[in-house]
Amino acid sequence: MNPTPVPPHSPADVPAATATNIASPAQRLQSVLADFLDKTQAAFSLVLDRGGAILCQYGNLSGSTDNAILAALAAGSFAATKELAARLGEAEFNTLHHQGKNANILVSTVDDDAVLMTVFGPETTVGLVKFYSVGTVAYLAALLKEARTSPDSQVAVSRHDLTAVGNIFPQ
Amino acid sequence: MSIINYVNKEVQFKIVYYGPALCGKTTNLSYIHSHVADTSRGELVSLATAADRTLFFDFLPLNALIIKGFGTRFQLYTVPGQVIYNATRQLVLRSVDGVVFVADSQWDKMQENVESFRNLQDNLVLQRLDIDRIPYVLQYNKRDTPNPAPVHYMDYILNNRPVRVPSYEAVATNGQGVFATLNAISRLLLRKFVRETEETAAAGKARAEAPAVTALSGIAAGTRR
Repeated sequence: MNPTPVPPHSPADVPAATATNIASPAQRLQSVLADFLDKTQAAFSLVLDRGGAILCQYGNLSGSTDNAILAALAAGSFAATKELAARLGEAEFNTLHHQGKNANILVSTVDDDAVLMTVFGPETTVGLVKFYSVGTVAYLAALLKEARTSPDSQVAVSRHDLTAVGNIFPQ
Repeated sequence: MSIINYVNKEVQFKIVYYGPALCGKTTNLSYIHSHVADTSRGELVSLATAADRTLFFDFLPLNALIIKGFGTRFQLYTVPGQVIYNATRQLVLRSVDGVVFVADSQWDKMQENVESFRNLQDNLVLQRLDIDRIPYVLQYNKRDTPNPAPVHYMDYILNNRPVRVPSYEAVATNGQGVFATLNAISRLLLRKFVRETEETAAAGKARAEAPAVTALSGIAAGTRR
């Protein structure tokens, strides 16, 4: 049975990092996705850069699907519909729904640089996923804004950390 | 700039193989896919027409363990070379970190090589990128064709910029030069990434130290009064 929908939150509700809330942006991003999947009964969520790189993900997919391929294809598909929208005088379509017999994908705009891809099956409905995605993408947009500048989200690497710089890919 | 997966701290680099139609971009990816270690490669995905011409892009993810403590992924893409698919090339170039420009060594393809390279520059500008500021290498493919254009001539028409970039002779069908090209662009991307993270760390350290210096200056000024 699906949970009773409640109105989505606004970005202003995003919990900020305070003395009592010291979770990193990455942890909070995962927490938002976990909450989203819990409410919608969707299987898997992935936040990706519009160029196709994965920013964070949560949940499980059956089989051995490579998330990188899902992200690349979702980014390409979403980008293509932006061109379609432009022909109709729209800046872009905010959501994109692919409906299958047992699997569905909903792709939603997060911000200018990222989109949210959600995979779900017959145990939920596109309406419910869409409903909760509205508040979720607002959360995610605020958290990504923070994550992009947070030292916690950066990789501290120096040239001494490189283990191979010759043939990275030997034949 | 490379993109980092915030959850698993995996560094992701996007490399786009660019060039005129039928120059061998997809052949490069196919050869890499069939000859790189199983543990390093993902699935090769091709969005192609029934005639095997690239319609949207080819995609091949590669893993490498080259940064201590961090996973590294190189995402290889090709663009469709046919002139009419320029909008698609623009989409594929989004968030690109590095480019391999594959040129066709046949004499009658020189004009197409030059036009495609100009098209690359124009499309990078649309992404607010400058060809002189992103890592790229040149690959002169199809060196096995009868009477290919000399390398110095191809350098003259494609690599005649203030900063010359590495160029590699290749026969992608048998793998000659394919891995040399891939390793070259991967090295350039790694070096740029390390340089930028070191600069970011140095800037952060300077910012952290700056208030202390200011405070000390204030105390000293107060003392003088």
